[in-house]
Amino acid sequence: MDSRERSLVVVSAGLQQPSSTRLLADRLAAATGAALADAGVPLRVETIELRDHAQDLVNHLLTGFPSPKLEAALRSVVDADGLIAVTPIFSASYSGLFKLFFDVLERDRLDGMPVLIGATGGTPRHSLALEHAVRPLLAYLNAAVVPTAVYAASEDWGQSERPADDSLGDRIERAAGELVRAMAVRERVATVDGFAEPVPFDQLLRSGSGD
Amino acid sequence: MQFGVFTVGDVTPDPTTGRAPTEAERIQAMVAIALKAEEVGLDVFATGEHHNPPFVPSSPTTMLGFIAAKTDRIILSTATTLITTNDPVKIAEDYAMLQHLAGGRVDLMMGRGNTGPVYPWFGQDIRNGIPLAIENYALLHRLWREDVVDWQGQFRTPLTGFTSTPRPLDGVPPFVWHGSIRSPEIAEQAAYYGDGFFQNNIFWPMSHVRRIVELYRRRFEHYGHGRADQAIVGLGGQVFMRPNSQDAIREFRPYFDHAPVYGGGPSLEDYMAQTPLTVGSPQQVIERTLEFREGVGDYQRQLFLMDHAGLPLDTVLEQLEILGSEVIPVLRREFERLRPAHVPHAPTHASLLAARQAADAPRPQLAVAGVGE
Repeated sequence: MDSRERSLVVVSAGLQQPSSTRLLADRLAAATGAALADAGVPLRVETIELRDHAQDLVNHLLTGFPSPKLEAALRSVVDADGLIAVTPIFSASYSGLFKLFFDVLERDRLDGMPVLIGATGGTPRHSLALEHAVRPLLAYLNAAVVPTAVYAASEDWGQSERPADDSLGDRIERAAGELVRAMAVRERVATVDGFAEPVPFDQLLRSGSGD
Repeated sequence: MQFGVFTVGDVTPDPTTGRAPTEAERIQAMVAIALKAEEVGLDVFATGEHHNPPFVPSSPTTMLGFIAAKTDRIILSTATTLITTNDPVKIAEDYAMLQHLAGGRVDLMMGRGNTGPVYPWFGQDIRNGIPLAIENYALLHRLWREDVVDWQGQFRTPLTGFTSTPRPLDGVPPFVWHGSIRSPEIAEQAAYYGDGFFQNNIFWPMSHVRRIVELYRRRFEHYGHGRADQAIVGLGGQVFMRPNSQDAIREFRPYFDHAPVYGGGPSLEDYMAQTPLTVGSPQQVIERTLEFREGVGDYQRQLFLMDHAGLPLDTVLEQLEILGSEVIPVLRREFERLRPAHVPHAPTHASLLAARQAADAPRPQLAVAGVGE
C-alpha cells in the first residue's frame, strides 16, 4: 500500500445529540485510522452529520439542485478514498434521512467506492436490517461494501468481553481492517467529466444510429 | 440582444383566490400575453409544448400561427419543441409552414422533455432521450436543407425520395436553439451545428449554468463556427416587480409558496439567492440580469417567465408593462454598450438571408496585375 494520504468520509444519520449512531461512526473511523497508521498511511477524516443537511436534502429533492453547503458535502463523498455510512434503524430499515442523502447523490458516483456500513438500534433484533436494507442500497449504487457490517444495539455499549462472543470492539476492528484493505487495492478511476471532455458529436451520432 | 417571454402554459389555481382558469381562458391568456409582449416592445414570444394536464399548449404551431396573424414584429418561438417524441418530418413541415405564414418571424428551441409517460404515449422510451434528440435533429436538419432526402435511422421509418414541403421560406431554415439544463451532449450538439444554445437557468444556480455554457462556447469554436465568445447563447429568467421591493415580495410570496415547482421547498429568499429568480424593484431586475452576462459572457437572448403559478392575467400584463417600459430599455442600452463589436446578435430570418445572399453573390473579379496566370 503506497503511503499517500487517504481521505475517509463518515456519513452519520444520527438524530440526537449526543447520538449513538455518531458514537459508532467515530469508533469505526478511529479504528480505520489506526489500521492505516499501522501501515504508515496518514488519513484525513471528514464527518458529515446528515441532520445538518436535513432541510437542504428535502429542498434538493424538490428543486433538483443542491444548496452550496450540501453540494460540498456530496462532493466530499464522491471524492473520498473510502466511506463509512452509519444509520439508525427505523421501522426495519435505514432512516429516511439516510436514504435521502443517497437518493440525491448523482448516479454512478459511488462506483467501486469501498464502504463500511454500520447501524444502531435499541435491541439486537434489528441487526439484520444492515444485510437486507443497507447493504442492497449500497450494492445498487455499485459501491464495494466490505463483508463485515457493524451493528450496535444499546446493550453493546455496556457488554463485557466474553471470549465466546464477538464484542462490538472486535467487530469494529475486523470491519475497519476490511475497509483498509479495500481502500489499499482500490484503483482510483478518474471520473469522466462530461463538461470538461464531452463525447464528440460524430460519436453521439453513430451511437444514436445503432452502428 | 433579444428580450422576450416564454410560457409553460400551466393551468394553476390562483393560491390567493383558489380559482383556476379554464383551458379556454388560459389559452386566450397566452395569446393576450404574446400580443402584450409585442406591444411593450419585446422581441420574442415562446410557448412550451406539453402533452399532459395541467398544461394546455399541445399544439404550438396552431397557437403561434394565430399569434402571427395578429402581430407584425415579434419573433415566434418555442420553449421547447420536443425533438424526442415528435416526428422530425412533421416538425420540418409544421414549422416551415409557420415560417411562411409569419413572414420568417419564427425560430425554435429543441428540448427532450422530462415527463416520463410522454415518451411511451408517443411510442418512445425515455432512456433513449439523448439518442432520439441526436438522430431526430440530424434528420430535421437535412429535411430543411436538402430538397430530396434518402434517410435511414434507428427510431423512425426510413425515407426514400422524400421532400419536406413547404421548403423553408427563401431557402433559409428557421434558426434553432437547443435547450438543456444539464446535458453536455446537447451543448455538444448545438456547438456541432453552430446552432444556438439556451440554458433555462431559472431552476439552476449560476455555477452550473456557467459550466455548460462554457462547454458549448468551447466546442462551438472547435467546430469552426467562430470564436467561443461569438457562440449564440440564450438564458431564462424569472421576475416579479413592484416599485417597492418589499411590496413585490409580499405579493409574490403566496404564488411562490404554492407553485407546483417550488412549493414546500426552500424559502423565497433562499431560492432567490440560489437561482436567477428576482422578486423586487425594476432596478433589482436590471442589476440581476446584467449579472447573468458576468456569468456566461455576452449573450444574445434573454427570455423571462412571467405567467405561471396561478398569477392572474391582469397582473401578468401589468408586469409586462413594467418590463417593457422600465427594464428592457435600460438592459438594451447596457448590453449594447458592453457588447464587443465582434460578438454577433442572435440570427434572424433577415440576417440569415442576408448572410446567404452574401455567400452566394458572385465574387468581384480581383484586378490584380502581375500575378502569374
